[in-house]
Amino acid sequence: MVELTRAAPAALRVRVRGLSVTPPGAARPVLSGVDLDVPAGQRVLLAGPSGSGKSTLLRALAGVVEEGPGGEPAATGEVLVGGEGARPGVAGLLLQDPQDAVVATTAGRDTAFGPENLALAREEVWRRVARAHAAARFTAGREREVVTLSGGERQRLALAGVLALAPGLLLLDEPTSMLDAPTADAVRAAVLEAADGRTLVVVDHDLAGWAPHVDRVVLLGRDGRPAADGPPGRVLAVGAGGGAGDGELWLPGAPDPAPADVPAGLLAPRPRVGGDALVGEGLGLVRRRRGLRPAAPATVLTGVDVAVPTGRVTPLTGASGSGKSSLLGVLAGLTRPTAGDLRAAAALAARLRPQPWRWRSRELAARAGWVPQTPEHAFVRPSVRAEAAATAAALGLGADRSDALLELLGLAHRADVDPFRLSGGEQRRLALAGALAAGPAVLLADEPTVGQDRRTWSVVVGLLRAAARDGAAVVVSSHDDRLLGAVDPAGTAAVHLDAGRRVGGHRVAGPPARTPAGAVGAGRAS
Amino acid sequence: MSAAPRSSTAARDVVHGSVHSGVHIPGDNPVGAPVHGVDDGVPATPAQRRSAGPGPLVRHCGPLSLLVVSLLAVPASFAVTTWVAGAAALTAQVLCLPLVVERWRALPARLLPGAVGALSVGWSAWLLGEPGQGDPLLAALTAALRLAVLVLPGAVLLAWVDPAEAGDHLAQRVRLPGRVVVAVVAALGQLSALADAWEQLAASRRARGLGPGRGPLSRGRWLASTAFGLLVDAVRRAGRVSVAMDARGAAPDGPARTWALPAPWRRADSVCVLVGVLVLAVPLVVNALR
Repeated sequence: MVELTRAAPAALRVRVRGLSVTPPGAARPVLSGVDLDVPAGQRVLLAGPSGSGKSTLLRALAGVVEEGPGGEPAATGEVLVGGEGARPGVAGLLLQDPQDAVVATTAGRDTAFGPENLALAREEVWRRVARAHAAARFTAGREREVVTLSGGERQRLALAGVLALAPGLLLLDEPTSMLDAPTADAVRAAVLEAADGRTLVVVDHDLAGWAPHVDRVVLLGRDGRPAADGPPGRVLAVGAGGGAGDGELWLPGAPDPAPADVPAGLLAPRPRVGGDALVGEGLGLVRRRRGLRPAAPATVLTGVDVAVPTGRVTPLTGASGSGKSSLLGVLAGLTRPTAGDLRAAAALAARLRPQPWRWRSRELAARAGWVPQTPEHAFVRPSVRAEAAATAAALGLGADRSDALLELLGLAHRADVDPFRLSGGEQRRLALAGALAAGPAVLLADEPTVGQDRRTWSVVVGLLRAAARDGAAVVVSSHDDRLLGAVDPAGTAAVHLDAGRRVGGHRVAGPPARTPAGAVGAGRAS
Repeated sequence: MSAAPRSSTAARDVVHGSVHSGVHIPGDNPVGAPVHGVDDGVPATPAQRRSAGPGPLVRHCGPLSLLVVSLLAVPASFAVTTWVAGAAALTAQVLCLPLVVERWRALPARLLPGAVGALSVGWSAWLLGEPGQGDPLLAALTAALRLAVLVLPGAVLLAWVDPAEAGDHLAQRVRLPGRVVVAVVAALGQLSALADAWEQLAASRRARGLGPGRGPLSRGRWLASTAFGLLVDAVRRAGRVSVAMDARGAAPDGPARTWALPAPWRRADSVCVLVGVLVLAVPLVVNALR
């Protein structure tokens, strides 16, 4: 049984000839006639604008291009990995959405899945799990249930699953997009270390972070073929000099893009509110699994005091797993806090009870917009246009705002496509359009800039700032330093979480003293 | 492979040689450096971890003994031929509940489907019972008790079966084919993820203004559309999970795989089967005594 020889394959070379991929239902190919040779052991950074087919090319190299509804191949051309046709399991593939990579219920078994398939001995399996977790900076422990992990933790777990295979070809799709800068640096270093003696193809928008460590940069253009290819210095100089992808790529050293201009009043909230739109006091959240055999309860948030002012963008920061998404869910009225009280301003609640989690769906949607971290799991309509207009339609409003938002976000030309066919970055922009189209007075956005190129980043950040300028209260959870700098240059507005508690930083506005009315409301809530 | 044994061995050696030659292989350490202070030994099995914690006695059992007892309920239910035997069998089972149930408040929901089934079977036995074959009410009671005796053990015992642990045992003890077990475990895992998927879907619909309204009609429509959304989502998820598993080397034509955790049969499992047999034998004993 102990066959370590199968465990450490040699670095694999890649040869691609005339690869074209037309996803089912798409009018034009995402990739057309791509030729690419990667010698064994080379480290390649694959870059390009959002939606240019980077993820599709990685999937083709991994041999997991999806088929059409009738089973017809979506890809034509030749893809050879190590001299053989690409097939699943040869290369280690990290998918963009870490939710897609989960194959087991606990973190340890999930990482062990690859080594088990390699038929490694039990002791070796767990050695690899421990090393892969350490390399990917996954610290939640091997007994943690995967469903309780945050987005960033899942991303690191997915990476650990790939590293544990020790494949001859590593294919990584935005491996650090949901991580804060120090963790991203550590994970990048670990990836580069693990890539020693292997071939690496990494897709990332963070050119500055990867450029010094790769042998070669391949830029994909909008036409679905490589626009530039060569050593990082030369390719990036070409890009900076007005060549391919100018204005769209995150070139090292270039100044941060300015947030895009958004017509005044486009995002004016329908209910106008002043002051603090939401005030949370002592918010706590404990998740329990019910059943005959209950699991240990997980404490997600503890005693969080937070005020969400209108007319401002409030950044929500903290390491991954610190409870940012959970707090956004509470503020969005989607999760009922298990401790403390969340109250909306009187002007926002109008005749409703003050706790957003008590509101009915339409009452909530008329007041608050939510941009989830993985929008793919939140789509409700079969076309991009209908998806963007869904909330407005449910509230009896027109589609003019949602159409204008699609135009601004560069999605108008894909209005008839199924949202599931969009790239990761496009899906996040669509979720933003859907959340803003009904004119919410409160906007809660979870990592909205992940997967954006320079141009789309500028629109996303422009929209967040414009919503605040037009009078909405905006909370944005993010690890993106550029975003944080653009919306909160002084760094004073941020709400920082650490292990579910609010730490440091300045309070945006002191929560009002507990009034008798508040006490009565809290009593009724429990 | 028509070559003689010796030459085919030699050919394999050559293949191995070519895999190793001239390429940097990071020794016995292909993933990363050994980590200090991190446990990289084989962890305890789920049953061993349950044993270490608090809970009812059944926590010591592994999945196979629980499955065996649940299945033994089938022949036991055949022995329920009179209402007396049925009542005795059900009483014995109910008396064992404290050995199995940790959270009593979850019990009614767990037993609801079985109770509905037993009542409907009893009801139809009462309606369809032929006159002249004894009291129809007793016949109905016997039919209801028979179904209750059949489903109760499974309903409470299977809550303790961990899908991954069941996979380990089915593959290593029952020797089911590894690929089949992997697929079954993945399917069971998806089943348990269904509740989370429902919550995720319900939350996104609520946020978009597509949640249920006040009326029962609107609630019904919402349930139907969310259930359809869950179905679509489940199909998509299944596709993604199979891609993820393929990408990690779970190819259907791949070599035999190993299992990260052992599948020990422990004393608690023997005790569980013994107690299960005794409890399930109650209707037989009652029949014999009458």
